[in-house]
Amino acid sequence: MPWTIVFSVLILLCSELPLTAVAASGQIRLEGVHSKLACADCHGADVSLTPQPSSLAVRANGCTSCHQGYDQIFDQAMTTRQAEKHFVDQTFSQVDPEFYANNCNSCHVADCLDCHGGNGHKIAGATQEECLSCHKGYFVGREYLGWAPREDHPRYQRGPKHLGERALKMRPDLHAELGMECKDCHSMKSLIAGKKSAQTCEGCHQPDPAVIEHGIAAHMDKLECYACHSAWAPQEYGSFYLRFGHNNREAEKAFKTPPLKGEYLLRTYLRKQDAPPLGINERERYSPIRPQFISYYSDLRGGEFPLVENRLLGAEWKAFFPHTIRTGTVMCDSCHDDRRRYLLEEPEDRLYRIDLDGLGLMSFWNQQGQTIHHGSFVSPEQFSQITKKDADYTKAYIKRWKNLLGHDASFSRE
Amino acid sequence: MPTQTPRPFYFLLIFLLAVATGCSRTPGDGSTCAACHQGLELASETHMECVSCHGGDPDESNEKASHRNMYGPKNPADPKHWDKTCGNCHPYQLDRVRANLMYTNTGMIKNAQATWEGEDGTLYATRQEQVATATGEQLELKSVAELDNLAGELYRKTCSLCHIGVDSNQVWTGSHASGCGACHFPYNDNATYQGQDPTVKGKWPHSASHKMETLPDNKVCVRCHNRSGRIALSYEGRNDGNNSLVPTRNGEPGPDIISGVRNATRIQPDIHHEKGLECIDCHTSRDIMGDGYAYENMYQQTEITCEDCHGSISERPRVEQISRENDEVLRESAHYKKRMKQGDSMVLTSKDRKYSNVFLEEEKIWVQAKRTGKLHESKVITGTPEHSIIGHERMECYACHSRTVVQCYGCHTEYDQRKLGTDYIKGVKTPGQFTETEDYRMIYPFPLALNQRGKISSVTPGCQTFVSVIDPQGEKILDEYITIFKGKQQLRFAPFFGHNTGTKAIGCSECHANPAFLGFGQHVVENDSIEATLICEKSEEKPLDGFITMNYGEVKAFSAITRENSRPFVTNEVQKIMAVNLCLVCHNDPKDPIYQKELDYNALDDCLQRSNSAVQ
Repeated sequence: MPWTIVFSVLILLCSELPLTAVAASGQIRLEGVHSKLACADCHGADVSLTPQPSSLAVRANGCTSCHQGYDQIFDQAMTTRQAEKHFVDQTFSQVDPEFYANNCNSCHVADCLDCHGGNGHKIAGATQEECLSCHKGYFVGREYLGWAPREDHPRYQRGPKHLGERALKMRPDLHAELGMECKDCHSMKSLIAGKKSAQTCEGCHQPDPAVIEHGIAAHMDKLECYACHSAWAPQEYGSFYLRFGHNNREAEKAFKTPPLKGEYLLRTYLRKQDAPPLGINERERYSPIRPQFISYYSDLRGGEFPLVENRLLGAEWKAFFPHTIRTGTVMCDSCHDDRRRYLLEEPEDRLYRIDLDGLGLMSFWNQQGQTIHHGSFVSPEQFSQITKKDADYTKAYIKRWKNLLGHDASFSRE
Repeated sequence: MPTQTPRPFYFLLIFLLAVATGCSRTPGDGSTCAACHQGLELASETHMECVSCHGGDPDESNEKASHRNMYGPKNPADPKHWDKTCGNCHPYQLDRVRANLMYTNTGMIKNAQATWEGEDGTLYATRQEQVATATGEQLELKSVAELDNLAGELYRKTCSLCHIGVDSNQVWTGSHASGCGACHFPYNDNATYQGQDPTVKGKWPHSASHKMETLPDNKVCVRCHNRSGRIALSYEGRNDGNNSLVPTRNGEPGPDIISGVRNATRIQPDIHHEKGLECIDCHTSRDIMGDGYAYENMYQQTEITCEDCHGSISERPRVEQISRENDEVLRESAHYKKRMKQGDSMVLTSKDRKYSNVFLEEEKIWVQAKRTGKLHESKVITGTPEHSIIGHERMECYACHSRTVVQCYGCHTEYDQRKLGTDYIKGVKTPGQFTETEDYRMIYPFPLALNQRGKISSVTPGCQTFVSVIDPQGEKILDEYITIFKGKQQLRFAPFFGHNTGTKAIGCSECHANPAFLGFGQHVVENDSIEATLICEKSEEKPLDGFITMNYGEVKAFSAITRENSRPFVTNEVQKIMAVNLCLVCHNDPKDPIYQKELDYNALDDCLQRSNSAVQ
């Protein structure tokens, strides 16, 4: 590419200048913490060899001389995206071998600059906006600021835009309200070590024993804090990938969608934004779970491509941590008296009859035909334990309701 | 003394007259109408002569000349002609329909006014009509064409397609004729004739057949009752969810496309539908066609309640015998398989009028399905312990027995004066186009509040309207404006029966222990405060999917419940409802005797105190 050569030459010319890079066409001014560096500090003596010293291609060798070991970020989930690849391999690759390459590749980290300041001469700590440019839509991130994905149909695509997406206004995470940003819990060190975060809840918070729920040993032993304290989460039930092919204006019109960028239109059968179901995670603790994904494939390209409709590719759930922390929680019955929250809905209690719509499952809230990754669903036996109303439960339950009813919860006798 | 004419002569005379006037099994026998329209279905066995409904010249062989003076010409039941056609023989029915809300839409127009400019003390209708109120006063309903403001525009350009005063021809699954034909000559999904007359076959817009539906089926009702409360959909177990148009069907949007390119997915139907009952089996002809009086709201016109057939806590269904030979029941049931007869004990509606198909026989209440004749026993709940819970006498049956209740949150209506919109009442396009966007729809859980009967009822947004107006110059002169209701800017909920009844009621704790049922929306609880999690864009404090908040034990309402005497729960009521949880944790059987008397909310404390002092 000619411009790359020009750029390289310019870089080379500037490499001896310590503060301000001067070029025939103007100046390259370094800003931020790196403003006092020389070109060669990052680009090496021969700039033409490392025009992009922060990239995956050179494992960021321009950065690692100072930031030793940080190239390991390229071995971690944000770059490798093993989980996503595995999911697609198990599902969409069967029907569209190019699915991953065409649809999932825009969000992987391939350069330090993806998160640290864009053009390389203004390198800075990753901002929340940079994190959320990938951690958007259904993926954990934007709910932290109180934004949930809206319904797909244009009828619901209204209201304020947040980082380019129309969002439904929800209660933000308490930490966001207090001014904390992603990096306050998710440090570079933790990320390169393959950890999801540098902080755990317990690292900062001592559970207050005066809180009734904290006084219950089973809660403290078996539950993730966020099983109760995540107030809500986006949940996508039935993700339909409709393959229109390219420039299929007829299909776009029929499904009332603006022109597509790729081949697929995603339509969700049902969205919910309330407290998500519970399962058991890898740490063998009770945790929020959600579909990720109950995915269906339809090939509507027409012509030489035979019609494939609503093929269930997988009904997979995932234990996750909704970043919607609030001090408050749902009341006892939401967990201790609700079969749906454990995907144990009885057939006669179904409200949604997805079986009659041909979705290949008896219910979204029944484990039958569904799987969960790196964890397990709550078994009927475990559910019996949860719903056992023994004396301790009753005492705590009454205490909790009295707390809600106010300290002076006595009623005048009329 | 005149010779007495022998009786057989009269019969012969009547027979000959009948043949001469066209009353035979062949339509318009001998007329030029019948000569061309061969194969056309008989409207009914009692509607034989073409010209008596359609007008025109039955002797003229030239098509144009023959059709020249027809009423319609397609639909003689249109309000322009109905006094000369249907109403000529059925004046009682026509007088009722003229005052009927399904025709006047007085309530809908009034509520549109309340949402926008406010009511102006005048009542409007789709056409100007002189009617009588239920208290016997004469009332002139002005034509909505004269309502020269945004409310009038909104009604004429959107709502008016679904009243029976005008026909609607271009709405997939939602088209209907005007006047009597709207229900009695049903359209198919695309308003084309599919009968046996080759001269009309496949033509649009026409009813699907020329055969009159004396007893219309649910398909007729669903053509209109599929928006707003969507009761005809919910009843049949169909859900107009989020318009995602999936799963697809045959490569097209699916699974079931209804008007406005919306898709209906499946939910559990109403138990009455599961048992085979149709809309008209519960709703009397007076509910549907009116009772002759003009009402301002449908809940005033509707005379049926659940208690009519199922009894109330204290009173079994009330009955009255048919004693007169001209009783309406005898006339109406003439079309049913089981015709009712004098002496039969008919069940009474809440307005003390007889159902034509619900009766008492051998100590049981029976409902006859009007179209099939199938008899269904109606279970009476009077005296059963689970229905005798003290306090629950204030509840509408459907507050507990609704499986789901349709709720549409956030209705953002934009009126753009730069664009043209069709005025369906005036029949012209005029500047000003309405578009709507929405926030969120759900069906469960559903909030409760007090309705116009002072009873606890399910409620649904009605409406959470946010208004934007763009003037002809493109300037937004109103932006997401919340209109004034009862003197202040506030959103509204309306008492509403979702028509998705289940045998199994919402469980005691399911309701008492979930504040969402009380109107707090989805939430978390911290000590004695409830914090909404789905919130209004305009106020972080307020739930979008609710109408009350609780801070440090104090309940505050921020939305109105429409209708007289309606309101959200207040602090004391919320506390009492929640305090029942202190009992329910042990006494979880609704039949438990402790619920058969006034609950003593301090009983638990007293008991604990006693046991403590005993230990001391």
